[in-house]
Amino acid sequence: MARVNNWQLGREMSYWYPESRPQKQFAAVFDINKCIACQTCTLACKTTWTSGKGQEYMLWNNVESKPYGFYPLAWDLKLLEMLEGQKWNESGERPVYEGSTIFESAPAGERVLGWRPEDEDYAYPNVGEDDCAGGVDGGASILGVHDMAWFYYLARICNHCTYPACLASCPRGSIYKRPEDGIVLVDQGRCRGYQECVRGCPYKKVFFNAMTGTSEKCIACYPKMEQGIQPQCFENCIGKIRMAGYLNTPDKAQADNPLDYLVHIKKVALPLFPQFGLEPNVYYIPPIHVPTSFTKQMFGPGVDQAIKTYREAAANKDDDLTGLLGLFGSSEMVMEKWKRVGDKVIGLDAKGKEIVNVPMREPVVVRPAYDKLYQITRGNCP
Amino acid sequence: MKKLLVLFLILGLLGAVACRRTFVATPDVQVVTTKTVTLDANESVWSGAPTHVSKLILQDLVEPRLMEPSTQEVEVQAVTDGTTIAFRLEWADGSPNDLPGPHRFMDGCAVQLPLAIADSVPAPQMGETGKTVQISYWRADWQAIVDGRADEITAIYPNSKPDHYPFNARPLESNPQAQQETAKRYAPARALGNNREGPREQPVEDLIAEGPGTLSPNPQAFSKGKGVRTSRGWAVVITRPLPAGFSKEKSSQVAFAVWEGSKSETGARKMRSGWVNLLMK
Repeated sequence: MARVNNWQLGREMSYWYPESRPQKQFAAVFDINKCIACQTCTLACKTTWTSGKGQEYMLWNNVESKPYGFYPLAWDLKLLEMLEGQKWNESGERPVYEGSTIFESAPAGERVLGWRPEDEDYAYPNVGEDDCAGGVDGGASILGVHDMAWFYYLARICNHCTYPACLASCPRGSIYKRPEDGIVLVDQGRCRGYQECVRGCPYKKVFFNAMTGTSEKCIACYPKMEQGIQPQCFENCIGKIRMAGYLNTPDKAQADNPLDYLVHIKKVALPLFPQFGLEPNVYYIPPIHVPTSFTKQMFGPGVDQAIKTYREAAANKDDDLTGLLGLFGSSEMVMEKWKRVGDKVIGLDAKGKEIVNVPMREPVVVRPAYDKLYQITRGNCP
Repeated sequence: MKKLLVLFLILGLLGAVACRRTFVATPDVQVVTTKTVTLDANESVWSGAPTHVSKLILQDLVEPRLMEPSTQEVEVQAVTDGTTIAFRLEWADGSPNDLPGPHRFMDGCAVQLPLAIADSVPAPQMGETGKTVQISYWRADWQAIVDGRADEITAIYPNSKPDHYPFNARPLESNPQAQQETAKRYAPARALGNNREGPREQPVEDLIAEGPGTLSPNPQAFSKGKGVRTSRGWAVVITRPLPAGFSKEKSSQVAFAVWEGSKSETGARKMRSGWVNLLMK
């Protein structure tokens, strides 16, 4: 195994291949606090890519309720249990992961520490939907806001990891990471359906197709990305929780790159299970209402700071951060750059050409209930 | 009473021996010339061919490795009609595994020969750079498809109820070509000609390799095969052209591999043999 740098762990780690970062890295930020689990993303993906024979059970994009939702069943719990606890050293300037990654924990004869779901594990995509952690005292739900129970929605696609476990697991090199944009693909001409990638991917985002005999996965809608258009699950997100683009490493972070700004500069968006060691490239703004003892395990030690920054953005008059969050879902185009000019937030393409121009605050129009012109009183109901 | 017990024990042992096929195993695979070769594992032609019992070992050289042994041995016979060589492989396997799906793996076997007969033999683990091996690979699910199992998800999951496929939409029903094209968009592997599953005429695939991880389709698809269940497992016949230059004076090598689907064996996770001498009798 080679030694590679994983900045999410704050240290080097072992990986099957030497470090080879793409020219650009496809990445995304999902704001969990905005997701309503409408599954429009799921359907947009499903109808576009996985409506074929053998793809019936595949959800390259899914939205599950945490803590009790999983697709496939217990995908995260199972591996967390196998990893036997993960420790972060938070005493220094940057947290350092002191546990083992799935590459470092690989048993003899294996390339990574992994497991394969049974076909039954895919049979309950909505398991745990809207199930609360803990109970709610009788009447509490009627009395108003309560804080003893929580759940949140976790939208998931392939993380197009910097160190993909699917790629490392494939004994015949059928999986590759595109040098031009870091998108991870299964070569459908070369795959022989061994399901080693299904076993290796900790996020279980590679699916075996029994009718073609090959494994398939999210392709980050690369035909769209190549044209500067965000993937289907981003474009169709009615909650406007998502932004796709390209992410630099922390040492090369650019403030005018929206993803760099959120991930590296403001540090409000965090990777999903960084301790697995894959350097996943979908980042989440963690839910602000959930006990951080839970979310820290899922998003790493940066949770407290991320929530604080996000929560206080408006109160602190952090117009850049609140403005950028308003840019989410404002255009189907990939906004590789952004800037704020006064009370306007502008999304730009890679060459700096304006794509979209969004006001910091939508103008407020107050319409009096009584219409003097027609001498009539209008209600809100038709 | 003690004598009676001993008698029962002896009778039991005799019975067990009688149930097994009896033959004198040969250290090599000896190819017997016959008038015709057959794909039928139960044909009488096989009774005249010597049996080689190939002891199988774990593939534990490259990751992912097989860590626990499964199939211990495979019985091999070979016949030729002068142009085609037929191998009959028989091994013990308690239950057939021929339904693909997530975490489902197929029973299978393979016969490997060097591409060229030369003094310097390729590495038995799928050859090496510059020393190509040819592999004829049989799989139980392909056999089921060739034997008539429908190419539908409902054949694998009988209780499934797919409600709609875009390529079965009404406007396409009268245009089979457009329908076919639309279906391919949702089956990229097939669109690229990677026929891992689906309709196929043979349950055997021809492959070439120059070492682990280099397996690729053999442009010459010449192998045929047929596998049947026996009382104790599988009997599979694989035919292919006689290796060029192979004769009574010029021997070759052959190697075997068996995959036990119920043990999640697939790809590199397999039981394999080393090279065995292949002799024309």
